[in-house]
Amino acid sequence: MSELRPIFNALMRGKTGALLLIMQVAVTLAIVSNAAFIINDRLTYLHQETGLQDQNLFRFNLYTFGKQVDIRQQQEVDETLLRNIPGVADAVVINQVPLSGSGDSTSFNLKPSPQQSQSERAAFFMADEHLLNTLGVKLEEGRNFTAADVVYSQYYDKNAAVALVTRQFIDGLFPAGDGLGQTMYLGDIPLKIIGIVAPMKGPWLKDEKPDNVVLIPQVEGVAFKRVLVRTEAGRRDEVMQQVASVLLASESERVVSNIKGVDELLATYNSQDKLMSNMLLVLICVLLLVTALGISGLALFNVGRRTRQIGTRRALGAKKSDILRYFLLENSLVSISGMILGSILALAMSDVLMRHYSLPRLDNWFILYSLCGIYLMGMLAVYWPALRAAQIAPSIATRNV
Amino acid sequence: MFIHYIDLAWRSLKRTPIVSLLMLLAIAIGIGITMTSLSVYHMMSVNPMQHKDEQIFAVQLRTMDQDASWWTVDNLPHQLTYQDAMNLRQSPVPFRQTAMLKTGFGVKPDNANIAPFMEVARAADSDFFAMFEVPFAHGGPWDKRIDLQGETVAVIGAEMNRKLFGGGNNVGKDIVLDSVAYRVVGILADWKLEPQIYDLNNGAWGNNEQLFIPFSLLPIEELKSWGNNNGWKYEEQKTYQDKLNSEVVWLQYRVELTDKQMQQDYRDYLAGYIKQQQQLGRFNRDDAQGDIKYISQWLDYREVVSDDNKVLVGLSFMFLAVCLANILSLLLAKFLKRAPEIGVRRALGASKTQVFMQHLVEVGMLGLAGGVLGLAIAQLGLHLLRSGFSRYEQVAQMDLTMWLAAPTISILACLLAGCYPAWKVCRTTPALYLKTQ
Repeated sequence: MSELRPIFNALMRGKTGALLLIMQVAVTLAIVSNAAFIINDRLTYLHQETGLQDQNLFRFNLYTFGKQVDIRQQQEVDETLLRNIPGVADAVVINQVPLSGSGDSTSFNLKPSPQQSQSERAAFFMADEHLLNTLGVKLEEGRNFTAADVVYSQYYDKNAAVALVTRQFIDGLFPAGDGLGQTMYLGDIPLKIIGIVAPMKGPWLKDEKPDNVVLIPQVEGVAFKRVLVRTEAGRRDEVMQQVASVLLASESERVVSNIKGVDELLATYNSQDKLMSNMLLVLICVLLLVTALGISGLALFNVGRRTRQIGTRRALGAKKSDILRYFLLENSLVSISGMILGSILALAMSDVLMRHYSLPRLDNWFILYSLCGIYLMGMLAVYWPALRAAQIAPSIATRNV
Repeated sequence: MFIHYIDLAWRSLKRTPIVSLLMLLAIAIGIGITMTSLSVYHMMSVNPMQHKDEQIFAVQLRTMDQDASWWTVDNLPHQLTYQDAMNLRQSPVPFRQTAMLKTGFGVKPDNANIAPFMEVARAADSDFFAMFEVPFAHGGPWDKRIDLQGETVAVIGAEMNRKLFGGGNNVGKDIVLDSVAYRVVGILADWKLEPQIYDLNNGAWGNNEQLFIPFSLLPIEELKSWGNNNGWKYEEQKTYQDKLNSEVVWLQYRVELTDKQMQQDYRDYLAGYIKQQQQLGRFNRDDAQGDIKYISQWLDYREVVSDDNKVLVGLSFMFLAVCLANILSLLLAKFLKRAPEIGVRRALGASKTQVFMQHLVEVGMLGLAGGVLGLAIAQLGLHLLRSGFSRYEQVAQMDLTMWLAAPTISILACLLAGCYPAWKVCRTTPALYLKTQ
């Protein structure tokens, strides 16, 4: 500890340089800890479990011209055609595509409207009895749809009477946990909850309640349709290439468009977050590099400037390890001062980010992680110049410059 | 003298190659990172109609009943209902006005070699084209009479014209949309309006339509919405007419109000409209009101520049500051090491100003080189952005402002960092160093 005093004195003599380094370490810590926290936040979001096999799912749009074609009958034909393509696990005409970032949600109530009652919002998927199998989601309780449950409507002239739901949704609407078998209302349409499915996400991961999903066995006859297909693992590309020709061969007065994998749709939906985490990662790496080079460069300079002084110390009996320790300690002193200042700065910065840019509050652990990382990096950066200092021969003190 | 300083600076930089390189890298990386995020920010925050900024307004109405609220900061829906749009269209106040719907069709080309395709379209009023200064290559907007009666006519974009007809003047020809023939009345010249200020609901970039049809066709052709439809209460919608009568908001509305008087008149008109509707039993709330926002207010309100972008720009500048602190300390060390030499120069008659200038020139050179290298790094960064994120194709670009900004920021930043070391070294007392030599 007796060594600290001369180090401190030496630092005070070159105040500006030391202060600059302290500031540099402080700002680096503030940036790195906040950026690392944001990255972690985004990566957790990006890699969350969706409950869906997005690499095996794809969707496309199907638009039929003219009114000559019986849309309902053609749909049956199409679904059969699709399900018979080798490699297809199942396929349905559906009102919206999960994880795609666009779709419909509505409120489900305990009592028919216009009566006021407990209500819970959910994304709703409408398709025939193949829906659950196409999504690749397991039934956890109750029963699945049967062909008899499916209602084919035109301008919603008929309505389905049953629904499957996720546990998150049913526990929101029936907090007592006795929702299975009960009836909820979509407007004034009663829907009996016949089953609970394994957790799955709706169309928007950024929804307030992305896990609220309701499945309804109903198909609305429209000219513009979305189709969702699940393939066997690894066979999606081959199926995607065949879809248009298979369907157009059966009926050519229509357009097959937007054939896209669900993972691709999700990637587009999440591109801003991916971009943010990538940019921040680059920023952190480059920042650490610049700071490390700065520390190295400055230390190298100091070694050069103090060559005679070091030689004198060596001549007076200081060991190589003493010289090495001197530089490492000097750097520690600067680093630690910078880190104390940096921690305060990091918290202040997080506060600004949270208040003005809707980011979550910084987890203090990230300051600690960054602190350790930066300290270690600083030590590594100063080690080589310190080693060079230790190599200075004692005889240099006796020589004239 | 300046040339001499440059020569001196060059020698000085060469004498300490490693430190010079470190400083160059620090400034180049700092500028590269900053310019990458700044360019994206700059392109995103562009206002495509700056010259009519305070003349074109988006119209909003707080139509929900007392107990319903909207998720926007000011509790106003972004869009209008059909009935409100139709009523507002009768206002005599605005210089120009248009109601709009994002819709789309299956297009079946005459030419059998072109496969049918889906195409997004915009239903609008004839004022749309003049309001947003959309350039025509052939023909023009449809007649104002059609805005009232509805007729199957269309204006197509240059790209669509090439796709369907192989280019040229095709005004008067028919195109088939969803099995209905539309007569082409106008063909646009190449046109881009980004961010898409007339409808920001489904992304601000790369969405300008190639197909425009009269808004008055909505009830006639039962045009489907390809955009957002938001309701605040349960309403049965069995027919298209049900939707037209509903409280669902799904239409965009823009008015052109050329001066302050007209803007005030329109605000008054909206207030009167709300009173009138309240008497008819709608807008059941105490704070029912209308609002108009001009283009830059709208861009800000709809957060076209995301918070993430702002945070990135802020962090980049902090990063640049670290780079500068880095350079400052290296310069300080370097210049002070050279103090003996400066002592000799001072003793030989160089003035403080001359010594100061000499060092600033050296720092400026460093800044220029760093800026140029930084530009290269920024270009690489933007290239990576464009290839990795197709969404950013339009905004990951550098315009002239940014090209000039890079070296300017770089040189200014370096001069700023170099001032203190240069000042410190020019105050060297000659005698001190002459003695030890």
